[in-house]
Amino acid sequence: MTRIGIPRALLYYQYLPMWKVFFEHLGAEVVISSPTTQAMLTGGSARVVADTCLPVKVFLGHVLSLADECDLIFVPAVRSLEEKVYNCSKFLGLPDMTKAVIPESPPILETDIDISRGKNQLYREIYRLGRHFTRNPLKVKQAGLTAWQAHLDYRELMFDHKLTHIEATEKICGIPAEKPRTAVEDPASARTTIALVGHPYLICDEFINHRLIYRLEQAGNRVLTPEMITTKELESAIIRLTGGAYWTYEEEVVGAGGYFLQNEADGVIGIMAFGCGPDSLMMDTVRRHSARTKGVPFMCLTIEEHTAEAGVITRLEAFTDMIQRKKRRET
Amino acid sequence: MEAYLGIDVGSVTTKLAALDENDELMAHVYQPTRGQPIEMVQRGLEQIKEQLPADVDICGVATTGSARYLAGVIVNADLVKNEITSHATAALSYFPEVQTVLEIGGQDSKIIIIRDGIVTDFGMNTVCAAGTGSFLDHQALRLNMTIEEFSQRAMDSQSAVRIAGRCTVFAESDMVHKQQVGHKIEDILYGLCQALVRNYINNIALGKEIKSPIAFQGGVAFNQAIVKAFKEELGAEVIVPRHHELMGAIGVALLVHEEMVNNKKSKFTGFQVSEAKYRTSSFECKSCTNLCEIAQISTNGQTLARWGGRCDMWERMPAEETR
Repeated sequence: MTRIGIPRALLYYQYLPMWKVFFEHLGAEVVISSPTTQAMLTGGSARVVADTCLPVKVFLGHVLSLADECDLIFVPAVRSLEEKVYNCSKFLGLPDMTKAVIPESPPILETDIDISRGKNQLYREIYRLGRHFTRNPLKVKQAGLTAWQAHLDYRELMFDHKLTHIEATEKICGIPAEKPRTAVEDPASARTTIALVGHPYLICDEFINHRLIYRLEQAGNRVLTPEMITTKELESAIIRLTGGAYWTYEEEVVGAGGYFLQNEADGVIGIMAFGCGPDSLMMDTVRRHSARTKGVPFMCLTIEEHTAEAGVITRLEAFTDMIQRKKRRET
Repeated sequence: MEAYLGIDVGSVTTKLAALDENDELMAHVYQPTRGQPIEMVQRGLEQIKEQLPADVDICGVATTGSARYLAGVIVNADLVKNEITSHATAALSYFPEVQTVLEIGGQDSKIIIIRDGIVTDFGMNTVCAAGTGSFLDHQALRLNMTIEEFSQRAMDSQSAVRIAGRCTVFAESDMVHKQQVGHKIEDILYGLCQALVRNYINNIALGKEIKSPIAFQGGVAFNQAIVKAFKEELGAEVIVPRHHELMGAIGVALLVHEEMVNNKKSKFTGFQVSEAKYRTSSFECKSCTNLCEIAQISTNGQTLARWGGRCDMWERMPAEETR
């Protein structure tokens, strides 16, 4: 059986159930890298030029960790998911970059997702991917449909039950969430609600975000994330803020920011990687909107490689204090 | 006699403030940290004890500042609070009407926006310490003058020169260049003050609505030239509280007073901690591949606390189990 490695980084969080179902339907075995560790980050950082962003370094570290565990490594290039909406160049060139900096890795199983080239092109791409495993096009079609259904179920589970990507992946694929080692107070008893906005590869990776969700929950907050909100709501928030998306995955930042500044949350924390081009524009849109509308408080955390957590902790404590004292005053 | 003790251990200075039951300042200590937070807390306690009446009863002790957790372990603090909440609390107790607090310390600077007596927004500098007290200290040292002289000389400036304030490295090369082409030193110094203020307004205060009354707290407020530059840049009055350098310590003392209601007993170790011997050490945890650096503090062979891990394995480990 062919073993396909999937790095637990970047788009993993959005699409794992879909990918896993697709490959398993075609008779392959899926191997997922373990949660991010310092060794992975160090390994990934050593391979790239200095300007590369933290999430890509982490991704490459995951690829390195899978090198001896599988026969192929799945690295998709997501070019576009909508016409005239653009993705970061790092996502466009991910397979090529991986091959260039990790020449010793097992062969890279690439795919090009480019919706702007039409549906037929997408179907052709899926067949091309399936051909690695079977010559029977019907089997590939069946795998594709089942995978798409798995994706829809995954999304619905997150909207309906207000689950994070990690919690939903645990339910659907049985991949255990990394549990904090001490029990968190019952989130339902929380006094205040803090919404996180940003890409899942930052919000869900406890290693690079210094256990952000856990810390917020320990401080007595309920935590909401963008995937808990329906696509419709997020899209209408983008239209309200900017008139329409320019960047792929803009709903995770501008959409969620626009939504949470007005609904459900007592405070919003944006999280972005240092040096991220698209996020520097998108996060600023959210910040400006928050200043203009005088909605709930907004704070942006920029994360980089440093291991000293004091800066993050002080900001989180001050932010939590601020909204909890405000709430206490109001009630 | 009741007293509430606030300890603010910053990167550059250590501050202690004792308040009586009416929240009046009874005694205070202000001294450089010199990279030895533990010794400075011990020495500060010794000094403040001498200022306080012999029958004083410490009913609450709290810590703040970047070494708040470490200091909290030494005195067994009843409350450990971040600097933002502490500074805002102190500002509000002196000026209930305050709407903006500017605070510049040794290594970081912050802005706190207050509306109707409650913090509604804040901003902090990022990793870079450009435009904080350490930078001014460094420049004063380079020009071979004390920070007091720096302040006086800058106040004499007639026409300030423009210095790049975005980054301290650029600022320094700009200053050197201006000095080599013959600009007067006071004009360069005041130009630096303006650059620092401009940098603060464009970075930390970006997008924040700065409304009067404005309070300016922290050690850098000693520098009259910076105060003047802030007034000019903001076009508004800037109030410097009498104890601006102690506001963090005062704020956290106020907070612990608030906390210690219903005859709650303080956990304060007592002033004798200034004689105790503390030992800090660190090691690399090898339980997983993260290889976290764990720091620990111990006294008489007993570990008081550990931190620094990505998980809380070491923090939770019973204190008796020393390594």
